[in-house]
Amino acid sequence: MIRTLIAITAATTLLVAGCTSLPSDSTRLEGRTAPVEYNTVVFTDYDLSRTWTQGILGSGQTYRLSVENHGRRRTETGTTEVYAVLRNHTDFDYRIEARTQFFDEDGVPVDAKPVWQRSTIPANSVSAYKTLSTGTQSLQYRVEVRELE
Amino acid sequence: MKMDTKTCLFTAVAATTLLLTGCAGQIDNTRGKATVYEDASTTGRVGGVGIESQDIVAVTDEMMRDMLANRMLAGRDIPPRIIIDNEYMRNESSSVVNTNMLTDRLRIELNRASNGRMIFVGREYAAMVQKERDLKRDGAVDGGTIRETAAQAGADYRLAGRITSLDAADRSDGTQSRYSQISFEMVDMELGTIIWSGLYEMRKAGRDDVVYR
Repeated sequence: MIRTLIAITAATTLLVAGCTSLPSDSTRLEGRTAPVEYNTVVFTDYDLSRTWTQGILGSGQTYRLSVENHGRRRTETGTTEVYAVLRNHTDFDYRIEARTQFFDEDGVPVDAKPVWQRSTIPANSVSAYKTLSTGTQSLQYRVEVRELE
Repeated sequence: MKMDTKTCLFTAVAATTLLLTGCAGQIDNTRGKATVYEDASTTGRVGGVGIESQDIVAVTDEMMRDMLANRMLAGRDIPPRIIIDNEYMRNESSSVVNTNMLTDRLRIELNRASNGRMIFVGREYAAMVQKERDLKRDGAVDGGTIRETAAQAGADYRLAGRITSLDAADRSDGTQSRYSQISFEMVDMELGTIIWSGLYEMRKAGRDDVVYR
């Protein structure tokens, strides 16, 4: 009887533990359908960070990297500099790619075509990603981060 | 064979559940068709330790954006005249790469993005321009519609640069590692001073069975 109880408890625990995190290829992840927001940093690789609201146990979040801080400022020639400070919460170095899309105040994509920049975030450390716009008008940004293939 | 009411009900519920589960998500999260085209700015299916398309795109993009944030290059009331060509770009590395790919992409992207903040002198086309000027001066053709100048444009700045590398190999498993450095310097063509510098570096490692041509 006790053995059966232990087995049931262990199985239930495993099941619940497995259900607390939705996998990165789940279609129920928030990031897949969230509206595009400006002046933000997003992980387009859901292995690095993912959030959900409709899991078996409700909402949840799993992440390896997170965004500590991000923002923009004007350079002396009037172009826009965007920065994002990324934090690695794991015991392993992570090689990532990041790019920035610029939009004008009306949300129209402007500036040169965004290009992926490669960088390494050391284990349990932070690293800054920076980029510059080519135009001088007032811009909004959207930084996308993914793991380097 | 006749099913009882319970079995019928169970089957109906199971079928409905399966149907609803199948309809629950709107996203079809599957990979697209395989294609021979690849994104030039990302690592492709064939990759080695040398300088590749994603490196050329990344380095020229980074340098372009950095130059446009430099006050001496992009913040002057009178736009500076700049030469960016392959003449003083040297490849001293062990990577096989046509340096024209770097200078051409950099010049073209800068010319498009600067939108008049910099003027580019096509010095490699000087002979072509001179030939046309001579025809105009000789009266073989008319003067065109824009203007006449005493001479072709002189440059304020010219880009120079160098690619260097450091190789290492592990003989036990054949793994190769290459540290590559690409440097760019903008030289004042009167004083000889360097008014802007940019450096791009990377290290790649892998079983080097890729052949670059």
